[in-house]
Amino acid sequence: MSFDLSLIASSLPKILQGLGLTLNLLAVSTLFGLILAVGILLMRLSRRAWLVWPARAYIYFFRGTPLLVQLFVIYHGLPQFGFIRQSVFWPILRDPYWCSVIALSLNTAAYVSEILRGGVLGVDKGFIEAGKALGLSKFQRTTRITAPLAVRLALPAYSNEIVSMLKSTALASTVTLMEMTGVARTIVADTFAPYEIFIAATIIYLVLVWIIQTAFTLIETYTNRHVRKI
Amino acid sequence: MSMLDGWWDDFFFGLVTVLQVFSVSLVIAVVCGLLGASAKLSKSRVLRGIAQAYTIVFRGAPELLVLLLFYFGMAIALTQVVQLFDPSVKFIDLPPFWAGSIAIGLIVGAYMTETFRGAFLGVDRGQIEAARALSLKRHQIFRYVRFPQMWRLALPNFGNHMLSIMKDTALVSIIGLEEILFVAKMANSLIHRPFLLYMTVALIYLAITTVITLAVGWLEVRANRHLRGAR
Repeated sequence: MSFDLSLIASSLPKILQGLGLTLNLLAVSTLFGLILAVGILLMRLSRRAWLVWPARAYIYFFRGTPLLVQLFVIYHGLPQFGFIRQSVFWPILRDPYWCSVIALSLNTAAYVSEILRGGVLGVDKGFIEAGKALGLSKFQRTTRITAPLAVRLALPAYSNEIVSMLKSTALASTVTLMEMTGVARTIVADTFAPYEIFIAATIIYLVLVWIIQTAFTLIETYTNRHVRKI
Repeated sequence: MSMLDGWWDDFFFGLVTVLQVFSVSLVIAVVCGLLGASAKLSKSRVLRGIAQAYTIVFRGAPELLVLLLFYFGMAIALTQVVQLFDPSVKFIDLPPFWAGSIAIGLIVGAYMTETFRGAFLGVDRGQIEAARALSLKRHQIFRYVRFPQMWRLALPNFGNHMLSIMKDTALVSIIGLEEILFVAKMANSLIHRPFLLYMTVALIYLAITTVITLAVGWLEVRANRHLRGAR
């Protein structure tokens, strides 16, 4: 079987041209997703049914359907409606980049809000009672006790979600975006050497995953420095 | 909904295809997961290394990339193997069904490896020692002691992996398998109702994932029935 190692080496720089867009999609969607997730989390944790139920429905829908289908509904589906084509949002919803960002953000927000909720529910009741006993207001208890502890508990799961997001950015290639997978697919269409090119792309993704995981290990070590064994 | 008249049968056969891919992938994933977990827990350094490499690669690479690699890569490999026997063959296409099912099975199998490994470690050592004391054979210990107890611990994560498999089946439309997303694409090229069509696909997926979630919930209740009333 012909397997050309030099082709892997020579295709790496070409695929790396898509790295910028991959990281851009990852960073922008992660940021939007996190902001949205906090909003959904607050709705989900409130005691008002009219806030809880929309949040539950949102999480149920976005976790229960494939991201690819969500992306298609937004990118191919929304232009079906005339009022969307006439609206001020049309320049955004026409653009595959923004459609990918919207789909990735909406999708990750559902997962992240559940991850954060797990963190909030994991905070020891005793700490919050101690805060009450010290006369802290509800806002102070949330920002100074619950939030920092919840974030620390949620970090490991959140790092997995970032890795999962990195992998999801590959789906943007299905709506014509030239991120790393998109570039790799184009090169394969030209050279028809799928093994070498896709393996080269996989290597880059694995390096990125390693960087993300190492970064989060450092953050986790920092946030847990009080329990470090001396 | 009358817009979709004439397409329901296509959606139905698409759904059948989705369920077939799901079943085959699930079997492959469970087998890979059990083998991977056994390899990771074995004393052999070589086996541990192979299992480690397997989980790192298949959990780190994008699903779409693995799928494309299998579909296009395996077609070339298969062609070359067949050409050894019959040089007149120019190209053999690997059916997208098998490329897709194997790729998804291997990806989710890597996740299951970690789940099963953790669950096997969660089984009380004393249980295995007791089984040895009763002179059960290795496969009997696996069959009657380790597996049933591991299963209970692995169930919640196992349910999530089943949902991942189900959602990954949508990717197989990219390599041309006629499942529901593919049907929606085809229908759209004729009736131009993309939102309606893709939303229908989303709702079909939502219905299946709901069934899986409920089924896993029921299995969890069943698996933990010996604990009921204890607290």
